[in-house]
Amino acid sequence: MNSEQKDVSSKRVQLIFSAKSSGPAGSSSKLAELPREEMAQRFTQSLDNAASEVFTMMVGTPLGPSDQAIHPRVADYTAMIGLAGDLCGVLSFRCGNNSAMLIAGKMLGTDEHVSDECVRDALGEICNMVAGSFKGQLSDIAEKCMLSVPTVVSGKDYYLYPLVDGLRIQVSKTFEGALIWMTLDVHSN
Amino acid sequence: MNALRVLIVDDSSVMRKIVDRSLRQAGLEIKEVFEASNGVEALARMQQTRVDLILSDINMPTMDGLELVHQLQAVENAKGVPIVMITTEAGEAHVVQALSCGARGYIRKPFSPDQIKERIIPLLQG
Repeated sequence: MNSEQKDVSSKRVQLIFSAKSSGPAGSSSKLAELPREEMAQRFTQSLDNAASEVFTMMVGTPLGPSDQAIHPRVADYTAMIGLAGDLCGVLSFRCGNNSAMLIAGKMLGTDEHVSDECVRDALGEICNMVAGSFKGQLSDIAEKCMLSVPTVVSGKDYYLYPLVDGLRIQVSKTFEGALIWMTLDVHSN
Repeated sequence: MNALRVLIVDDSSVMRKIVDRSLRQAGLEIKEVFEASNGVEALARMQQTRVDLILSDINMPTMDGLELVHQLQAVENAKGVPIVMITTEAGEAHVVQALSCGARGYIRKPFSPDQIKERIIPLLQG
C-alpha cells in the first residue's frame, strides 16, 4: 500500500461535493470553444490574480510565490464554493491552522485570539471573494456563472471527492511564509 | 459632512467589521454603526432607526439584499437614505438589477478604502 492509499483509507469521514450546471445541456458558452490548454492557462492565471487581489485588498498581505507542485488532499481548513452555469464546478481554498488564524486576525484587524467561528467565516468570505473575482475575470467567456454559498470544513479527518469530470487547476501560494492551496475542478461541457 | 450613522448588512460578521473599518479608513466620520446579518434584521432595524447610509451585501439567507432594497422603499425611515450594495456579484446584470431596485451605488468585493470613498462620498454630498 503506498502512502496515498494509506492516507485515504485512514479517513473516517468522506465528503462528497458536486456542482452541476443549472443551465441547458451543451452550453453555448464561448468557454466550450476554447482549446483545453488555453482554458487551463486562462483559469490558472485568473485564479492566481483573483487570490492575489483578495489577499492584498482584504487581508492586507500580498501572497508570495510557491513552486510546490504537490497539493495535500486535506488541510486544517477547507473552504469550498460551487460554480454553476457557463462555468460549472467547485473551487476550494485550503490552509493550515496557523494561516487560518492569521488570515482571520488580519481581516478583523486584531492580533488577539480569533474564535473558530470567525475563522470559518473569514475563510468562507475569502473563498467567496476569490471565486467572485475569478468569475469576473472570465466574464468574456463565462458570462452566466453563479456562485453557491461557501462551505467551510475544519479538521483533517475527511476526504474531498469533487464529482467533476473535466479540468483540475491547482494553484499554490505562500501567505506569511506558509503554504496555501487553491483547487478548481470544472465540469467539461 | 456630519458624523454618520450607518447600517451594515452582511451575513458575514467578519465582512461587517471590514466594511466598518474601511469606512473609517476612507476618512468618513462615523457616529454609530448598526449591524444586521440579513434583510429581515435590517428591515426591523430600519423600522426603529434613522441612518445616513445603508451598505448591504446581496447574497444573504432569509432575505437577500435586492429584496431588502425593494422593501425599504416602503419604510419611512429609509426614504432618501442612499443604499450601496457591496458584493462579489458584480456582473452587469446584477448591477442593473440592484440599481433598478433602488440601490444608489455598487461596490465589488474585494474593495479598498479608496474605492469606498470614491463611491460613497458623492452619494452623501448629493
